[in-house]
Amino acid sequence: MNLQRSKAHLTTWLFLTPWIVTLLLFWLYPLLHSLYLSFTDYSILSGEPHWVGLENFKRLFSDEDFLKALENTSIFVFGTIPFTTIFALILAVIINRRIPGAGLFRAGFFIPSITSMVVMALIFTNLYSAGGYINLLLKLTGLSFPKDGWLHSERAALPAIMIMDVWIAVGYYMLLYLAALKSIPGELYEAAELEGAGAFSRFWHITLPHLRPMTLFVVVINTIRSFQIFIEIFVMTKGGPLNSTLTVVYFVFEEGLERFNMGYASACAYVLFVVIAIFSAIQLKLFGLGRRIAD
Amino acid sequence: MKKLSKLMLSLLLIVPLAGALFPLYFMFIHSLKKSGLATLQLRDLLPVGLTFNNYIDIFSAGPFEIFIFNSVIVALVVTLGNLLFCTMVGYAFARRRFPLKEPLFASALVILMIPAHIIIIPIYILINRLGWYDSYLALIIPWLVNPLGIFLMRQYIENLPEEIEEAARLDGAGDFKILFKIIMPLSKPALAVLGIQIFLTNWNSFLFPFILTASEKMRTLPVALALYRGYQTIDWPHLFAGTALSALPVILFFLVFQKQIVSGLTAGALKQ
Repeated sequence: MNLQRSKAHLTTWLFLTPWIVTLLLFWLYPLLHSLYLSFTDYSILSGEPHWVGLENFKRLFSDEDFLKALENTSIFVFGTIPFTTIFALILAVIINRRIPGAGLFRAGFFIPSITSMVVMALIFTNLYSAGGYINLLLKLTGLSFPKDGWLHSERAALPAIMIMDVWIAVGYYMLLYLAALKSIPGELYEAAELEGAGAFSRFWHITLPHLRPMTLFVVVINTIRSFQIFIEIFVMTKGGPLNSTLTVVYFVFEEGLERFNMGYASACAYVLFVVIAIFSAIQLKLFGLGRRIAD
Repeated sequence: MKKLSKLMLSLLLIVPLAGALFPLYFMFIHSLKKSGLATLQLRDLLPVGLTFNNYIDIFSAGPFEIFIFNSVIVALVVTLGNLLFCTMVGYAFARRRFPLKEPLFASALVILMIPAHIIIIPIYILINRLGWYDSYLALIIPWLVNPLGIFLMRQYIENLPEEIEEAARLDGAGDFKILFKIIMPLSKPALAVLGIQIFLTNWNSFLFPFILTASEKMRTLPVALALYRGYQTIDWPHLFAGTALSALPVILFFLVFQKQIVSGLTAGALKQ
């Protein structure tokens, strides 16, 4: 019996081994290693790391490029998420009303969001170019547009990438909202209708409160994702023109893997990590607070 | 009346839908056109004068088939690895009692929320030290167990009836036999969801394949496409043939496995 128990124990740990190895080797160790590196001047080219204390962090906050990257990233995050969330919600609510072609709409809006970001970024590079379709369309409507192309304009490049992000991401969050809408019991609506509640009143008093947990989830995961914007920048602008689209993760990539200032880049990555953690905590707290007030 | 208002809503959504799908349509159409895109006109969007030459060119010109091969191999092996390992780990969490069970499971949930940018630098250093840089090992080994997969499989296995396992155990079946002969066949729906999602994620993956490889022969399709540049101008029709070949399998996959993909993406969200 005892032998059987210890054999069962052995296989349990054998089953767990893949996760334990992945967790320790590819997550915990890198996380701690880069925390250590952020206090050093390490470069893979020069060999041994030297302890420099808080030097990297001090340098970061007087580094104009980093501050610009932080500003751009914040503009990107706070400028896209409200629109993505609201558009996703509107689409989901409309499609959920079983309109003709609902399945087609659901699939059609969702497809851009599962297509590779590299592919979408390349397509939009062309659409935003000087003679691209977006300028062509604006010319036809008589509106003004960046003549050298959106991505070559210091003023238009970041907004262009933001518009593209909303354009692509909406479908994914719409799908999450649709799943949440499906889980609202239909009887609630029937009861409200019997009591004479109108469509708007039903939306306000039943739909919206039930979507609160999903909205929190949508906003939190979109915040975590958006703070890390990189692929679009790498493919479309390389941070230019004149740093107008430089983002924090692109800065980490440039400093760490192109200039090999790995200590400095690690410090930068950790600053972003803390920023993301703070915003996620604030969002969780705000929503928790709102819920308590609503109750 | 109600039907009419629903029809109105439908018509209202057609314009945004056309907008959402326009970029992809534009890419497919232009991957099938002869002329370059120097001076675009609206009539270029019409599906006339189509040719497959761009596709033929990219295969005859360069190492394009290597990029596709790399993408297929990496996505396939990572997917198979996840199917096996996530079932093993998920089974242990669902059925066994062992010390540190709670923190170990919580670790998977925490990793799920950790922004991956934080490991770009240390993973690059680690992979170099292991001697895996610019090899399939770097593209495969670190990604063989996915925390979301563990979560998904534990959830599913927990809800399977335990009697079948117990009956098999009484018949003398060992742990591995139970895992492969009973748990895995019973978990097919969950494995389908997991497998499709892991395959698509890895097929589209850019960041880590990009930073962990250097040579042309190790590039996956998204990496090759992102790094593709002509000397002076970008050769769009040929580039779009390449991006079309990257996007097409995903879209076809989605149309066939819509149910599994949707439930895979929403599984994590609804549990929160």
